Amino acid sequence: MGKVEPIPVTLVTEPGRLLALDADTALLRLPANTGHGHDDGAQCPACAMRTDVRALLFDMLEGARQGLRPGFSKVVVDASAVTDTARVVDALMGKLPAQALRDHTVARSFYLAGAA
Amino acid sequence: MSHHVDAPIPDWNEVRDALTKAARERILILDGAMGTMIQRQKLTEENFRGERFKDWKLPLQGNNDLLVITEPQIIEDIHYQYFMAGADIAETNTFSATSVAQADYACEDAVYDINYQGVVVARRAALKAEAADGRRRFVAGAIGPTNKTSSMSTDVSSPGFRSITFDELVVAYGEAIRGLVDAGADLLLFETITDTLNTKAGIFAAQRLFEERGIDVPIMISGTITDLSGRTLSGQTPTAFWYSVRHANPITIGLNCALGANAMRAHLGELSDAADTFICAYPNAGLPNAFGQYDESPEFMAEQVEGFAQAGYLNIVGGCCGSTPDHIAAIAKAVSKYPPRVVPENEKLLRLAGLEPFTLTKDIPFVNVGERTNVTGSARFRKLITAGDYTAALDVARDQVANGAQVIDINMDEGLIDSKQVMIDYLNLLAAEPDIAKVPLMIDSSKWEVIEAGLKCVQGKALVNSISMKEGEAQFLAQARLVRAYGAAVVVMAFDEKGQADTEARKVEICTRAYKLLTEVVGFPPEDIVFDPNVFAVATGIEEHNNYGNDFIGATKTITETLPHVHISGGISNLSFSFRGNEPVREAMHAVFLYYAIQNGMDMGIVNAGQLAVYESIDAELRDACEDVILNRNPEATDRLLAIAERYRGTAGKEVAAKDLSWREKSVEDRIAHALVNGITEYIDADTDEARLKLPRPLHVIEGPLMAGMSIVGDLFGSGKMFLPQVVKSARVMKQAVALLLPYMEAEKNADGNATGRQSAGKVLMATVKGDVHDIGKNIVGVVLSCNNYEIIDLGVMVPTAKILQTARDEKVDIIGLSGLITPSLDEMVHVAAEMEREGFDIPLLIGGATTSRVHTAVKIHPRYNLGQAVHVHDASRAVGVVGNLLSKDNKVSFIADIRAEYAKAAAAHERAELDKKRVPLAEARANSFKPDWSGYVPPKPSFIGTKVFDDIDLADIAKYIDWTPFFQTWELKGRYPAILQDERQGEAARQLWADAQAMLKQIIDEKWFKPRAVVGFWPANASGDDIRLYKDEGRAEEIATLFTLRQQLSKRDGKPHMALADFVAPAGTPDYMGAFVVTAGLEEVAIADKFEAANDDYSSILVKALADRFAEAYAEQMHERVRKEYWGYGAAESFAPDELAGEPYRGIRPAPGYPAQPDHTEKTTLFRLLDAEKNAGVTLTESYAMWPGSSVSGIYFSHPESYYFGVAKVERDQVIDYAQRKNMPVAEVERWLGPILNYIPGPAIIAAE
Repeated sequence: MGKVEPIPVTLVTEPGRLLALDADTALLRLPANTGHGHDDGAQCPACAMRTDVRALLFDMLEGARQGLRPGFSKVVVDASAVTDTARVVDALMGKLPAQALRDHTVARSFYLAGAA
Repeated sequence: MSHHVDAPIPDWNEVRDALTKAARERILILDGAMGTMIQRQKLTEENFRGERFKDWKLPLQGNNDLLVITEPQIIEDIHYQYFMAGADIAETNTFSATSVAQADYACEDAVYDINYQGVVVARRAALKAEAADGRRRFVAGAIGPTNKTSSMSTDVSSPGFRSITFDELVVAYGEAIRGLVDAGADLLLFETITDTLNTKAGIFAAQRLFEERGIDVPIMISGTITDLSGRTLSGQTPTAFWYSVRHANPITIGLNCALGANAMRAHLGELSDAADTFICAYPNAGLPNAFGQYDESPEFMAEQVEGFAQAGYLNIVGGCCGSTPDHIAAIAKAVSKYPPRVVPENEKLLRLAGLEPFTLTKDIPFVNVGERTNVTGSARFRKLITAGDYTAALDVARDQVANGAQVIDINMDEGLIDSKQVMIDYLNLLAAEPDIAKVPLMIDSSKWEVIEAGLKCVQGKALVNSISMKEGEAQFLAQARLVRAYGAAVVVMAFDEKGQADTEARKVEICTRAYKLLTEVVGFPPEDIVFDPNVFAVATGIEEHNNYGNDFIGATKTITETLPHVHISGGISNLSFSFRGNEPVREAMHAVFLYYAIQNGMDMGIVNAGQLAVYESIDAELRDACEDVILNRNPEATDRLLAIAERYRGTAGKEVAAKDLSWREKSVEDRIAHALVNGITEYIDADTDEARLKLPRPLHVIEGPLMAGMSIVGDLFGSGKMFLPQVVKSARVMKQAVALLLPYMEAEKNADGNATGRQSAGKVLMATVKGDVHDIGKNIVGVVLSCNNYEIIDLGVMVPTAKILQTARDEKVDIIGLSGLITPSLDEMVHVAAEMEREGFDIPLLIGGATTSRVHTAVKIHPRYNLGQAVHVHDASRAVGVVGNLLSKDNKVSFIADIRAEYAKAAAAHERAELDKKRVPLAEARANSFKPDWSGYVPPKPSFIGTKVFDDIDLADIAKYIDWTPFFQTWELKGRYPAILQDERQGEAARQLWADAQAMLKQIIDEKWFKPRAVVGFWPANASGDDIRLYKDEGRAEEIATLFTLRQQLSKRDGKPHMALADFVAPAGTPDYMGAFVVTAGLEEVAIADKFEAANDDYSSILVKALADRFAEAYAEQMHERVRKEYWGYGAAESFAPDELAGEPYRGIRPAPGYPAQPDHTEKTTLFRLLDAEKNAGVTLTESYAMWPGSSVSGIYFSHPESYYFGVAKVERDQVIDYAQRKNMPVAEVERWLGPILNYIPGPAIIAAE
């Protein structure tokens, strides 16, 4: 088992921005934050797995590993629906506190390559 | 605490019986969400504060748990609504009532009261409901996960960090549980468990209180699966989670929250199968929608949950977030028609867990416990741990797991380190590595405090190694109880107050006594007991030792027959202690011993699985002698084994020439210099340490003797007296020394915050550009520069421009170095240069790698980067000089001026040369093509059509085909092999490198480091102009691919033809064929190289990569021979020796797309498609058409007797336009890929005015 080359993530924050996608690129559309009655960022597993970019990237990674979805070597994250995009950036840069072991996996498997 | 009427204390045994009885009769109902119901009340800050917190310093709105004190009636009413909707059990409103979670509101002091009052209000509602309908209700004291996690770090860049410890959690949970129990909760419910280690601390706290009070409150446990792959937040699977909390003997296990019922189903099914207790499930009412509301209606949710009941998964069911009394009523109604799940009875098997479960089932004959992470068993691991190199130490664990270890043994018993702290640090780091943490751990120490510290770090179910009755029964019982309380299984050594058991009788006696104590006094499950009856050395020459093998085997048989469900383990290497140094004999002894011990019931052992002989394959004489010794079959057994042992010693005891060690008597500075110059790592740790103690500061060791030694190395290298392989070895010594000093420098820095760090000569960023995977040259340059005190930031391979520039900016580097091997990388480098210009960089840009050249840099890269300077570096030996000049204040200006002048000259010369080289028009070149006489020629027919995949790989055979000359070139030793070994100047360096390469080669072959793969294909083919058409079958009707070729356009003398590869294939009418292949040395080299790198051994890292490249080329050569002799068959009579093949004396060629005969890399796409190379050989193409893994070779086979390798060289615009049309590719794209061979400047054609 060698080191796996981290996967670059390009972040889209403006609505309506178009990006050309090729076969190696997976698109992840982040839904708007839900926040059902607790503070934004509170540890809520129900919310995290639907809105936390790390949880969703981990699902993609696991999905590809288990052959449930095509593999990918690049990811475009469309965060244009999210109000607090700084949080998404922090999550992708490993600055947000990890809530799950998967957040460690995601931190090693992806890097924020740029914004479009 | 006095109990008032609202807080009757239940008889918990009666509660357990009543609940068990009810749960066997019907599916019981748990209540629904509390938070959702509180939200509906639209409460204000004043409601939350009430009287008691009227003047509280912090806002309290949202601290729902406080309402049991400040608005008790509201909470009681909610409970009552749920009870009347059908709930049998209510959860108290105490989810966040621990001091850890209440710290957010500074309400830590209210924790006991909240828990107490939480039970009181729920009980009031229960009594009211019971009075209303006469049905019994239960109150479950809810305990949430807290908002902190003990099994992992919240900081991804510091994975060993913990924001809370096990001990802190025990205190926090203990306080909450006391409140719940004092108020008379019927049950304790650990719910929404996101971190199993937190819950294990909670269980520990609960059991301690139970023991104190002599009570046994039934415990319910409910985990939360938080992603679609079915893991808890802390990464465990449902079954692993169950194994990890099984020791709490919970009345229910189950899942709640996170997912809606639908998504929970599969995970619940898994638990239902695994758990031998009741199942309790309470999913959310779907998932929150965009407005934060749960939109599953009561009917919809009930329908989903009904499915659980129908499947037989349920004993208790309720609702979590979003559910209401309406949901609970609907659920109660829906499940009422189904019988409850029948609790299965599980076989008594050893069940352990890491992130994943491990069960020692009957079909596993023997569990290999990995021993490489044991400092007492592995010198290498000890070294890594004492040096604090945790990264490499984790790799050791990772490798063991990758190699199939089912459990890994962790032992840190080393006198010079703080074993307890190191155990904690290592386990905490390990927890963040899912590919290691997936297996259960054996926590191994002779010190109980180390074991206990380790147990507090692991969320899974571990195995303790070991406890014994050495210090008497009392201590044994105390430790066994703790092992159980921490939820681990245990290895018990056959050791009592009188000493270690040696005879069979003593072993049986001690183990039997321990078994009785454990099972009858402690209540330890027998399947969780592993006995180690002590493996002792035999054949020691002492007569009493002769029967030790028999004693162990006999004891194993008796113990496993008389003490049900237990396991037997042992450390095998002790057995052969007297044959130290004779590995073949030791391996044979171990294999024979295990052969008999396993037959008699041994099922676990600490073994180096890689060093175990197969019983059947041991030489009969040796096997016999080992059996005599181990089974004590005759009194002469030892002498006989000793007598024959020498003959089996094999290579292990090879005579080593006596070394000249006189340099060891010199001063420490001289010794360090000697070690650096000669690349000797053996003594460098001790010498460095000596220098550290001698000099005032650790930094002085680097700046003093180490740099002095390296500057000698630098001088010798610069003057051509040392060669690259030797320098890389020196660097290895340097790295090891620096690694040893770093912790001291860190400590110094921490001690006086302002200590200055090591001053590097400059920061150099190195990267292989996007689309390219080749990095040997880059790594060599990196090592050489780091030897010269430059700090290297190596971004690895396939690095996008944006990452290079971002890192350069973030790290404030002084120089960027780019590397690449394939031609498209040249364009990528131009792109990087242009981007640097655009973004305003002005630092120097170094260009290196096989396809780069001074001319290309001068003509293509240099003009795009005017703010700074691009410099071509021909080889590693020049890198130091170039970097030194570029970073020197004094020399920089004149050095750059010289380069610019040189590049201007080179560009001008290039332009002139190009003008001189006249190209002929394509039509003319075609007319002058190579035209073999097809009339009298019958092309040979391959033995099959289509593809064939090869996995019958014999590494030793491939190695015979290695062409060593390029290997020496990689290391910048120039000359042909084998003459280079005798070269007057480079001979010594070459011989040493050769010896190292041979040693590694042997290991590669013996230990099967590489797993080469190959795919070969043949198809009917005919040329059509400059194209080659490939057909599906002999019918030649269905065309499956076209290979496009390029034709030479340079002007030729003497009527020589203008070649294209298509000329070697017959035109339609003559049935001809083509072949193609992809071979690879495999991906394994990458991991091996990384491992060496992590161990600060760049020399071996580069060596293994260079050898992998050679293997790929050799494999291509060997495969080509098999093709000629066998699969295509036209060369069946060939009889060249493998080492003659490098001169290509045979018929036929195998050119590769991207190389001179067909410079278009994109043709590989066709090749890969035809061969399905990704599937068949595991080789893929990057966006620049480099092959990954890098040690791969592809090409096409031509059989024509007159075929030969030629270079297409530069082509004209007319051919590019023609080629683009044939390929159906835009001209601009063709121009991009053929950039380096265009004989014109792309863009609109300009017709010069006359």
